[in-house]
Amino acid sequence: MPFIGYKTLIEEGDIVLAFIGRDAIKPIRINSEETLNTRYGVFPHKSMIGKRYGSQITSMKGYGFIHLLQPTPELWTLSLPHRTQIVYTPDSSYITQRLGITNGSRVIEAGTGSASFSHSLARTVHPHGQLFTYEFHESRFLEAKKEFEEHDIDVVINHRDVCKNGFEITNYDGGYLNADSIFLDLPAPWEAIPHLPKVINKNEKVGICCFSPCIEQVDKTVKALIEHGWTSIEMVEIQGRRWEARQSMKRDVDDAILRLKDVKRRKLEGIERKRKFYADNGDNNSKETENDSNDVREKRKLDEKEQTKVEKTEFNPFGRGMRVLEGDPKYNWLKVSKNEAELKSHTSYLTFAFKEAVANL
Amino acid sequence: MSEIKQDQDQFIVKPTLIQYGHHVLIKLPSSGLKVAHVTEGGSINLGKFGTFDLSGIVGFPFGQTFEVLDERKVRAVKSTTYGNVDTLEPEDIPTADANADAAASDVVMDETSKENTPEPKTLGEKIDYLKRLDVKSSETNRDLLDIGAGSQALTMEEIETLKKTSKGANIGEAIIDKLIKSHANFNKKTIHSQEKYLKRKQQKFLRRFTVEYLGSSQLLQYYLEKEASKVLDMSEETLGLLLSLGNIQSGGRYLVIDETSGVLIAALLERMRGSGEIVLLHENEHPNISALDHSNFPIEIRQKMIDSLNLLQFFEPESERVEFQEYSTEELKELKSNKRTHYHRRKQNAIDTNKAIDNAIKGDFDALIVATTLYTPTLMKRLIESVGGSRPIIIYSQFKEPLIETQLDFMNDLRILTPALHESKARPYQTIPGRLHPMMTMRGGGGYLLSALRVYPVEEGVTAVGRGLKKKQKFEK
Ligand SMILES: C[S@@+](CC[C@H](N)C(=O)[O-])C[C@H]1O[C@@H](n2cnc3c(N)ncnc32)[C@H](O)[C@@H]1O
Repeated sequence: MPFIGYKTLIEEGDIVLAFIGRDAIKPIRINSEETLNTRYGVFPHKSMIGKRYGSQITSMKGYGFIHLLQPTPELWTLSLPHRTQIVYTPDSSYITQRLGITNGSRVIEAGTGSASFSHSLARTVHPHGQLFTYEFHESRFLEAKKEFEEHDIDVVINHRDVCKNGFEITNYDGGYLNADSIFLDLPAPWEAIPHLPKVINKNEKVGICCFSPCIEQVDKTVKALIEHGWTSIEMVEIQGRRWEARQSMKRDVDDAILRLKDVKRRKLEGIERKRKFYADNGDNNSKETENDSNDVREKRKLDEKEQTKVEKTEFNPFGRGMRVLEGDPKYNWLKVSKNEAELKSHTSYLTFAFKEAVANL
Repeated sequence: MSEIKQDQDQFIVKPTLIQYGHHVLIKLPSSGLKVAHVTEGGSINLGKFGTFDLSGIVGFPFGQTFEVLDERKVRAVKSTTYGNVDTLEPEDIPTADANADAAASDVVMDETSKENTPEPKTLGEKIDYLKRLDVKSSETNRDLLDIGAGSQALTMEEIETLKKTSKGANIGEAIIDKLIKSHANFNKKTIHSQEKYLKRKQQKFLRRFTVEYLGSSQLLQYYLEKEASKVLDMSEETLGLLLSLGNIQSGGRYLVIDETSGVLIAALLERMRGSGEIVLLHENEHPNISALDHSNFPIEIRQKMIDSLNLLQFFEPESERVEFQEYSTEELKELKSNKRTHYHRRKQNAIDTNKAIDNAIKGDFDALIVATTLYTPTLMKRLIESVGGSRPIIIYSQFKEPLIETQLDFMNDLRILTPALHESKARPYQTIPGRLHPMMTMRGGGGYLLSALRVYPVEEGVTAVGRGLKKKQKFEK
C-alpha cells in the first residue's frame, strides 16, 4: 500500500511522488517503459526502480535533480488534483486529535470533495477502523472512487446526497455503521445532522466536527446540534502559520561610527594631500598656471591624480558595495524568523460537539 | 518495512464503558480536572463536592455525568452542558427558535405569558421558569444591576441554613427555589446573562461531574492545567499536527525523545493501538514517562512496544552492551533466594538492553519524533542518519529560536528536504446561537514544530540543492 504503511525500495507499479520543488510534487506510477519530463530534465522510470524511497536522482543529461518520495496523506494534500476546496493539514490534524480518531475509529465524512482529508483519515483509522465517505456530485464521486482504488485505500464511498437521503448503507454489515466520529464539510450541515442518529454508535460517546467558512453557517449548525441533543458544543478556528528561518546581519552601531570616522579621516587625508600637491606643484585651476604649456598641464593633472590618491579602505564591516550572501561567515548574523509572505488567515470554522451514549441503566 | 505485521489479538480496543482498572478523567463543573484510577473499593474526594465510591460509576459509558448524593453515592444524570459557556438542564436548553428569537429581538414577555406558564415542578422547569420571569431582555444590559452581594437576595447565612436543612443534591434545587421567590434583580437581566447567572449558581450548588475517557488529549489537558511545564507547554493543536506531519500510524517504527512526561508517547501508542515499535531515547538512567501510568495501555503492551535507551547507549552501542555471565542450574541452586531474584533482574535487564541496542542500530526508523530541551542543532547532526528515506523528522519546541537554528542547519544539509517551521493555534469562540464571537482570552504559548523529510542525496557532490538546480537548469537549455 503506497499511502498507508511503509516501503523501502521503489518497484514497478509503485506510486511515487516526484519532488521537483515545494510547489511541484508530481505523482507518478512507475512503469519501466515510461519517462518523467520535468523542467529539470528527463527521468526514465527505469532509473528509479530499485532505488530507495527518499533518493535523489539525476536527469538523463546529468544536470537536473529530483527526489523520489513515498506518498503520505500529508504530501498528497500538497500535490493532489483540486476538484474542490480542500481541508489542509493544520485543520485536519486538529480535528483528528480532538475527536480522538485513532486506529480502530469508525468515521463518517461528507462530502468527499477532493478526498484530501479522506486520505489522512483512512491512514489514521487503519487497519482496525473504517472510513465511510459520501459525495453527491457524480464526477467527483467517480474520481474519488477511482483514486481510492488506485491508492489501495480501504474506504466505503457512496454516491449520495446526505442532506436528502441520510447516511444509511443497507448493504454494509447489516446496515450498522456504528460511527464514533463525524466530519461534515458541506454547505448545509444542519440538513445532514438530523440523519445522524441512525448511523452513530449509541453505546459510546460520539464526536462531530462541522467545517464551514461562514459564521452564519455556524449559527445554523449550532442550533441544529442543540435541537438534536448534541452537547459540549464549541466552535474554534485554527490559525496555522509557517515561519521561515532567516539571518539578519548584526550591524553594530560602534562599527557604523568607526566607519564614519574612517570615511572622514580619508576625506581629510585627501584634502591634505591635494593642498600639499598644489603647494609643491601648482594648481591647474589657478591664475599662476594659466600660461603653462599643455604638456606641463597634462603632466600635472596625471601627477595630481597619482599623488593625492587615498588608499581604498580595508575597513568595511557590513560588506558595502559587495554581494554578501545571507550567513556569510565573514560577518556576524542574528538568527531570525519571518512569517511566510501570504498567510492563510481563515480557512473555516470548526464546530465541535459530542453526543452522550445512552446509558444501559 | 514493507509489510505491517498485523497481529489481530494485539489490537487494543478503545473502551467505551467505565470499568475497574481504568484511569479516567473527572471533569468538575468549575472545569477543574482530576485523574482517577477506578479500583474496586476505591473512592475519590472531589473537595467541596464531597467524596464518593468509584463503584458507582462502573458500567456507565464514558462521557456520563453524575451527581454526588449522600452516603458516598452517585446518580447518573443527563449532561448539563450544551455549549462552552452555558450549563443548563437539557430541558432548559432553549430550542433553536426560541433562542433565535431571543437573539434577534429583545423579547419582552408580558404578564399573560407568565400566567400561562404552569407551576414549575422539576428542577429543569424551575430554571426555565426563572428564565421566563418578566424578562426585560436588553443587549446593552442597561437595566442590569450588579449581580454582586447587594443584589443577591440570598445571604450567605441563608444559603448555609439551606445547606443544612435540605440534604445532598437537593441543596442546589432548594437554593434555586429560594431564588425564584426572592431574587430581586433577576427580571432585569438579559436572557443571556440570566443563563450565565444560572450557570454560576448551578456550578456552585449542584455537585456534578463528568467522567471522560483518558485519551492523549485529555491527558495533555490535565497536565496543561496542573503543570504545563511538565508537557513543555505543548497544545492539543500542536500535538495533533505533530502526529499528522509525523505520519504516525499503526505498525510504524519510531525513534522518539519525549520530555513531555510521556504524554507524547501516550499519543503515539493511542494512534498505534498495539501494533508497532518505539525506541525511546532519554538522558537519565530511566526515561521519565510517568504520564503513561495514567494511560490505559497495559504494562505488557508498553514493554512489548517500547525499547528505552539512554543517549550513551544509543550513540555508543558497542561499549554499552551489557555483558552477562549466566549461571548454570547448579550454581543457581546454590544462591540464596534474594541473590537469585537479583540475578534474574540483572539478566532481564541485560536481555532488554541488548535487544534495544540491536533494534536501535538497525536504524531506518519510520519517523524521528523529538520533544526535548536538548539543543536540537547538535542533536539532529547525530540523529538524522537513523531516519529512513522519505520519512519525517518532527521536532517540537516550546520556543521558536532553537528550531530556527535547526532549520538553518537543515537548509544546508543535503540529507534533508523541505524543512518547515509550523505554528498552530486554536482560537475558541463563545458558541451561542446569535452571539458567536471569539472568547475574550485564550491560552497563549503552545509551542512550535519543525518538520522535514530525510532524503539520500546523489553521491557526487551536489551543492546547495535549490540553487544548484537552477544553475544546472540554465546549463541544460
Ligand atoms: C469542500 S468539499 C469537501 C472537501 C474535502 N473535505 C477535502 O478535504 O477534499 C465539499 C463537497 O461536498 C459535496 N456535497 C455538498 N453537499 C452534499 C450533500 N448534500 N451530500 C453529499 N455531498 C455533498 C460537494 O459536492 C463537494 O464535493
